[in-house]
Amino acid sequence: MGRSKRMLDELDADIREHIERETQDNIERGMTPEEAHYAAVRKFGNVTRVKEETRDVWRVVWLDELWQDIRYGLRMLRKSSAFAAVAVLTLALGIGANTAIFSLIDAVMLRSLPVEKPSELVVLRWSARKAPRINGYMSSGDCPSNLRYAAANPSGCSFSEPIFREVRNTNQFSGVAAFANAGPLALTGNGPASMISGQLVSGDFFHTLGLKAAAGRELEMSDDSPTAAPVAVLNYGYWQSSFGGAQNAVGRTIELNGAAFTIVGVVEQRFTGITPGSDYDVWLPLAAGPRISNPRMWDNREEKVTYWWLTILGRLKTEAPMLQAQAAISGMFRNEVLHRSIPLFEAGAGMPGPPEPRGGGVPASRQVVMGGPPPAGARAVPPPPGGPQGSTVVQGAAPPAAGGQGAARIQAPFPPVAQGQAPLDAAPDAPKEPRTLSKPDDEPTVTLVNAQTGLTGARGRFANPLYVLMFAVGIILLTACSNVAGLMLARAAARQKEMALRLALGAGRMRIVRQLLTESLLLAASGGILGIVFALWGSHAIISFVANNQPRPLTFATGLDLRVLGFTVAISLFTGILFGLAPAFRSVRVDVTPRLKEGFSASTKISRGVGGRFSIGNALVVTQMALAIVVLVGAGLLVRTLQNLRSIDVGFDSHNLVIFGINPSLAGYQDAQIDSFYRDLQGRLTETPGVKSASYSMVPLLSGALMATMFNWPGTPQDRESESDVLAVGPNFFSTMQIPFNAGRGFTASDYEIAASAASRSAPPAVPTPVIVDQAFVAKFLGKENPLGKRFGQSAASQDGPASPGYEIIGVVRDTKYSDLRRETSPMMYVPQTMQGASFEVRTASDPQALVPAIRRTVAQINPNLPLRDLTTESQQIDRLLFQERLVARLSGLFGLLALALACIGLYGLLAYEVTRRTREIGIRSALGAQRGDVLRLVVNQGLWLALAGAAAGIGVALGVTRYLKAMLYDVSAYDPFTIVVVSALLVLVALVACLIPARRATNVDPMAALRYE
Amino acid sequence: MSTKEERERIELLQGTLDLLILRTLLPGPAHGHAIAKAIEFNSDEVLQVEQGSLYPALHRLIKRRWIAVEEGTSENNRRAKFYRLTRAGRKQLKVETSKWDKLAGAIARILRPAE
Repeated sequence: MGRSKRMLDELDADIREHIERETQDNIERGMTPEEAHYAAVRKFGNVTRVKEETRDVWRVVWLDELWQDIRYGLRMLRKSSAFAAVAVLTLALGIGANTAIFSLIDAVMLRSLPVEKPSELVVLRWSARKAPRINGYMSSGDCPSNLRYAAANPSGCSFSEPIFREVRNTNQFSGVAAFANAGPLALTGNGPASMISGQLVSGDFFHTLGLKAAAGRELEMSDDSPTAAPVAVLNYGYWQSSFGGAQNAVGRTIELNGAAFTIVGVVEQRFTGITPGSDYDVWLPLAAGPRISNPRMWDNREEKVTYWWLTILGRLKTEAPMLQAQAAISGMFRNEVLHRSIPLFEAGAGMPGPPEPRGGGVPASRQVVMGGPPPAGARAVPPPPGGPQGSTVVQGAAPPAAGGQGAARIQAPFPPVAQGQAPLDAAPDAPKEPRTLSKPDDEPTVTLVNAQTGLTGARGRFANPLYVLMFAVGIILLTACSNVAGLMLARAAARQKEMALRLALGAGRMRIVRQLLTESLLLAASGGILGIVFALWGSHAIISFVANNQPRPLTFATGLDLRVLGFTVAISLFTGILFGLAPAFRSVRVDVTPRLKEGFSASTKISRGVGGRFSIGNALVVTQMALAIVVLVGAGLLVRTLQNLRSIDVGFDSHNLVIFGINPSLAGYQDAQIDSFYRDLQGRLTETPGVKSASYSMVPLLSGALMATMFNWPGTPQDRESESDVLAVGPNFFSTMQIPFNAGRGFTASDYEIAASAASRSAPPAVPTPVIVDQAFVAKFLGKENPLGKRFGQSAASQDGPASPGYEIIGVVRDTKYSDLRRETSPMMYVPQTMQGASFEVRTASDPQALVPAIRRTVAQINPNLPLRDLTTESQQIDRLLFQERLVARLSGLFGLLALALACIGLYGLLAYEVTRRTREIGIRSALGAQRGDVLRLVVNQGLWLALAGAAAGIGVALGVTRYLKAMLYDVSAYDPFTIVVVSALLVLVALVACLIPARRATNVDPMAALRYE
Repeated sequence: MSTKEERERIELLQGTLDLLILRTLLPGPAHGHAIAKAIEFNSDEVLQVEQGSLYPALHRLIKRRWIAVEEGTSENNRRAKFYRLTRAGRKQLKVETSKWDKLAGAIARILRPAE
């Protein structure tokens, strides 16, 4: 306080001045100068006291004392630097681990959306008792969907475009916007062809979000019309990396999937995508959707009420309450889905009349695309050839070949469940009239969810592991706290004489408590500062691990922000008080006289009277051991899960396999040209030196992508559909993947011709599509019956389309894992791949990485404008699939070892301290004839008992909490005895080592020296 | 000084010095010695202020921002520190004065209930 300093500095002068004036007055009254001065001074009073009192006016007492405490605390810590170092390091590890994990949670879960006033932004979410009768549903994975075949209470965030327009018309929001994933875009016109990711957004998207352009302009409503000139807006980062941030990028024309777009602007830097974790390189108006998509797959969805594909955002009006808007939107939605009288299914795919069995009325092109493939990507997911009844369910990530970056970015929530799911609209009691989207008792409603919580995106996938890790680091912090508390207790015991002396000299007890708490907080603060360093390093390591395992860099901004710093400060204070309070209060509960006496005379009581303190010390060590066991058991289970997943028999040889996606239709190839392109590439790749064989399939195995199809199995009711996974594969797929045949043969050229003619739909297919099935398929549908030659999935001609001859089984292969490792192998049929985007599998003779350049060259020879997508090896892809398990197993393992180390340091500290205290007793024992072994046992026994007690308590706690891990485990029980036994043994073993060091020192106690001591 | 005089002088009540200082500064700024003199003079020298105790009080009032300090020259052209009533001090003086009136009144009623 500058004011106080100035005032006090001048105080002396002021007083002198005052006394001079008084003297002067006195002289004027006739006193002699000497008398006058004397009288003035007397009248003024005690100058020293006045100064003191004046100074006191300004003094903030507690601040002064705090400063004193801090200086004293620092001196104490300097004096016992070993203690301080151990304590600070322990705390830094605990605080650092917590801060690191919290900074991830902060980045992934808590950071607010990068838009203006995010709290006003809501996302629309529909829910109903039963699934609506629609024939297309797409979710880009921005918010969780729960749309399952015949499942009760489905919900989701995708709406049809007509609904979007109605939402806008209700005028309930100050702004409304809709968006959908534009899918993988092949970009040409800016250097070599590349794949980028784009989002289709309504014209008012940026305006609604309140975003500005960093260059050029934003998209506007006028851009979002089929007749408007096609325009694009770039991501700031993408503009920097691919256009060098050049101003003249605005106005340039690029080609996306062969369609020309003019770049009109760049979005401001902070905005990389509305959903955290999923960024886009480019934004296009919704109306541009048909330009970048296969028309057949696009299916004129902008006009359809039965094609739900848009996520809708609204900005709440500041004056209108949210519930009012919600009621209005919900009423509109209910009205739309219940009372629309327009035909539900297009082009004669009407609902069956009463006499007709339901099977014929299933729309041909039902699609449910969840968690991934965007409109353009969806082109690769038509119904399987030859199966007009087939409808396709794509679950999980979009296939790299097909859905590409959509997939890369947003994989389905784990574990992708696909079995037993099917498209909507399979309810047997199809209504005849009117053709409604829903029935009143479905109770369709819309809720408005705050966009921050509603747009989970990739966050959902990280939530569970992050919370598990947060729990683990929380335990570590507790361990660290109790560890330091133990150290402090031991020190407090050593300082009892000092405390007693201070109390005897008149120090207030609270003053001493405050002094000790200040020391604790100093330790905690130092730990916190060092912890932030650890945390920065740790979260950076974790993020780069995560990023390396994503097909696309995951762009969660991490780093210290105020929230993280606040968190660190809070837990540092918390830990400081937590471990400091008990020792502090113990210290002042001292009976002064005996302590002082004890200090000055030889202490006669050795360990008596301190029993209470040691029981606290013991309790702390037992607690640490127990906590360590809890973390270790959890870590053990997660490590075992990873091991189990790694040792799964995937059914094919995943080594030496390069995979990449390539889709010639993005470069204008059509129908038969696509097939001949693939054959050509396959031939050239096979001839490349180092390649043993090559093939392709619609999606690679174990990429997270999954397709399923529905068909009627002969002998079952027409309205009962059966489901099987399906994968379209190219020639030599099975030999390349090394999937052995159990019976029958592979696909031949004529099989591909049948498939091609069925797919082209130029003529009704005459012969059934040949399929190869797996053992699970045989087991489920055929039992002991001979599968070869078996036909299924036939259907009669109907409004849906011409009659279909269905499928014929020509071979049986071994079971393989399809989309991911956790999913059970299920019935699977392979069909000949034709006319769709595909992924190549290249079997190499040796290191697959070495062949990557050769593969790129080979593709470029055919067409340099065709970008490769997701070029990787199968092993890397499996690693990516397992990245969450790997991340959690590694980190929890690391944290488990950390907890173990802390607990053992605690044990060591306790025993070492006790040996020091009991030196005299040990000396006497030795003098009386105790052998080295006896002394050793004395110390080791205590340590072992503590470790065992801790282990037992820890196992008890672990059994109580590991069930929360169940969802993350694979093939290992949450109560796995093996894990529990192994980690307990590990703990006891390490504890034994920690005991041995002080125990050995105890055996070296010289009886004479010990007795002479004191 | 005679003993009679001494008896008639009254020690200040706790806290009243602050009030007196504020009141003294109401007409205009003054320096420390002048304040002490004024209090003595205005109370017909009944109130005995130990002049030194003025200083902690002045500092207390400065800290509360009821008075402010400014440099100036005194009547005999010497540099001096003048204390001035602030707006907050003026307000405080009103509050304190009315408090004092109430207190004095209450005590008077107790001491002379008959009147």
